[in-house]
Amino acid sequence: MPVTKVLTAGIGEVDLRDFTVYRDRGGYKQWERAVRELQPAQVLELADRSGLRGRGGAGFPTGKKWSFLPNDNKPRYLVCNCDEAEPGTFKDHMLLEQTPHLVLEGILLGAYGIASHHAFIYIRGEFKRGFEIFSKALDEARAAGLLGKNIFGTGYDLEVTVHRGAGAYICGEETGLLNSLEGKRGEPRLKPPFPAIAGLYGMPTVVNNVETLAYLVPILEKGAEWFAAVGTERSKGYKIISISGHVRKPGNYEVALGTTVRELIEIAGGLREGRTLKAVQPGGGSSACIFDEHLDWPYDYESMAKAGSMLGSGAFVVFDDTTDFVKCAFNLVRFFAHESCGQCTPCREGGHWLETVLHRFVEGRGLRSDLEMIRRVSSTITGLNLCALGDSIEPFLKSVINRFPEQFEARIDARSLQQNGSPAMAASAR
Amino acid sequence: MPGFDALYERLRPECERLIAQYEQPRSALLPIVHLFQQHEGYTSREAMRATAEMLRLTPAVVESTVSFYTLFFRKPVGRYVLQVCRGLSCTINGAEEIMAYFREKLGIGHLQTTADGLFSYEEVECLAACDRPTCMQVNLEFFYDLTPAAIDEMIEAMRGGAFPVAPMAQTRAPESTWAIAQDDQVATGRKSPGATGVARPNNAGGLGDASGVIMLDRFVNKEIAFSERSNERLVRDSRAVYDVLEDGEQHAGH
Repeated sequence: MPVTKVLTAGIGEVDLRDFTVYRDRGGYKQWERAVRELQPAQVLELADRSGLRGRGGAGFPTGKKWSFLPNDNKPRYLVCNCDEAEPGTFKDHMLLEQTPHLVLEGILLGAYGIASHHAFIYIRGEFKRGFEIFSKALDEARAAGLLGKNIFGTGYDLEVTVHRGAGAYICGEETGLLNSLEGKRGEPRLKPPFPAIAGLYGMPTVVNNVETLAYLVPILEKGAEWFAAVGTERSKGYKIISISGHVRKPGNYEVALGTTVRELIEIAGGLREGRTLKAVQPGGGSSACIFDEHLDWPYDYESMAKAGSMLGSGAFVVFDDTTDFVKCAFNLVRFFAHESCGQCTPCREGGHWLETVLHRFVEGRGLRSDLEMIRRVSSTITGLNLCALGDSIEPFLKSVINRFPEQFEARIDARSLQQNGSPAMAASAR
Repeated sequence: MPGFDALYERLRPECERLIAQYEQPRSALLPIVHLFQQHEGYTSREAMRATAEMLRLTPAVVESTVSFYTLFFRKPVGRYVLQVCRGLSCTINGAEEIMAYFREKLGIGHLQTTADGLFSYEEVECLAACDRPTCMQVNLEFFYDLTPAAIDEMIEAMRGGAFPVAPMAQTRAPESTWAIAQDDQVATGRKSPGATGVARPNNAGGLGDASGVIMLDRFVNKEIAFSERSNERLVRDSRAVYDVLEDGEQHAGH
């Protein structure tokens, strides 16, 4: 199945950062049409009918998310989540820097779809260049009368504010993001209430990923049926997959959902000469690995869940037979331990201790009893936290320990094997 | 600090503009701190105090927020902040060798600054450029596909003042690290010192009783709404206590 360029069309061929270039290619036409001819409810209906699901990680149906907003007169906000930091994901980074006007048009349509008059984009602190590029695009659009007061003379007002984070993975979690946007520590909130009821400043708020909102533009242009016509039964449309790791041509590839895992590896140039596949992490740092037996499975939300993993943000990391999975496990656990906001004890303490124990393995000093402890601690962390960060520690770790136990066993200190696996005795033996 | 006062005066209009972007002033906290850091090279205590003044928060609230974010440096850093990606995709494609090369070349480790104040070095989490490993940022500008030869060239250009990325402002000489006590413990793996890391563990701040009484009073008077977040309540209540204490001090002084 080939790559289909929808959002990525023109990237690398023309300078889509140029306002005139974007407009000449039909840019902002859908925005103008929506404001002039459509009611917000019609935009929502299109999003709903297209089957578009959140492209940031959770895969929640977009139209449904919007429909949760209460029917009241409170101000409501649309927040575009561009705090891309899931290990292995680099699609929003590309969209923001390469086609900022498309990102903006998506935000405008999303805001209109929920009848909001103030939208925000939260850009990861590290994307300083992207922030500058997007800010310029926003200024150009404002100067052209595409946002502001009384847009196209229809009486509809919409302002967009660009907000830059300052380095914190957890701000990609929607309530952590909202706290950060309110000028607070980016600590996730207790849910319920969900942002749709009480989000930014306590008002009804929708938080959508960059890619999700950008797909509104082609959906408006070509129709909900066009989008729903590709993909699988419950995973409709296209998705940008960030393929990296041990492939010859890593990059962002836009494909129809349901493309097989094998096809995705081939699209990215396949494995290096003489190498064999060991595993694929199909949905970012938070997802469990899939293996050989899943090569011909379709890459969609349901199949990945059935394979014991998830599609997540579409970060597709390929591992060949040179991979040291002990190091990989340590790497990701360290990531989550480092990025834990510290509110919930299981995540804060559990992540830290798993990191310490796995570091022992990396150095070849693992204890025989450690493997059982790693399993116990990582499963204990899961499900006891305010947000999904703590729950993200276990999947990859568990999947590689189960699949490649020999790699972990090889790092157990021989002395601990003679000590009947008692950590205390092994420690004193050193 | 007279130098800071002049800067504060100069940046104030821009801060006001940032505040006006939001329905609530506090939302401008991150943008304002970014602005000060851009001019001072780090986030000084004066900058946090000024931010607090403009947003009508206590300096402690500002610092507690600032300390959450890794891109805010609360101590001076080098002219070039080198942040090398240690994410998984880079790691399985040679990032460890690149990091080792940097450490050897610069003679410093993670979170450290060279003695000449030119380089600060940090190994950071996934930078979202996994298709071009190993990647890094220099003063937040991306560089990709690192090799030892490219690093040599880069460092040489920085030393010779011919590097395309502008150096950071440096209003004060950096120390050997910009990490401060608690962060140090995080960096070395001692993330949770618990009570053992506190000099007097039982002396936990001393505002407990007063804030409890104020909170109870507000609850009885139905000033605390169901929809309020506990953390907001905490901040507001601690501010109220702060105000009371400050008044008390003023009275005591007179």
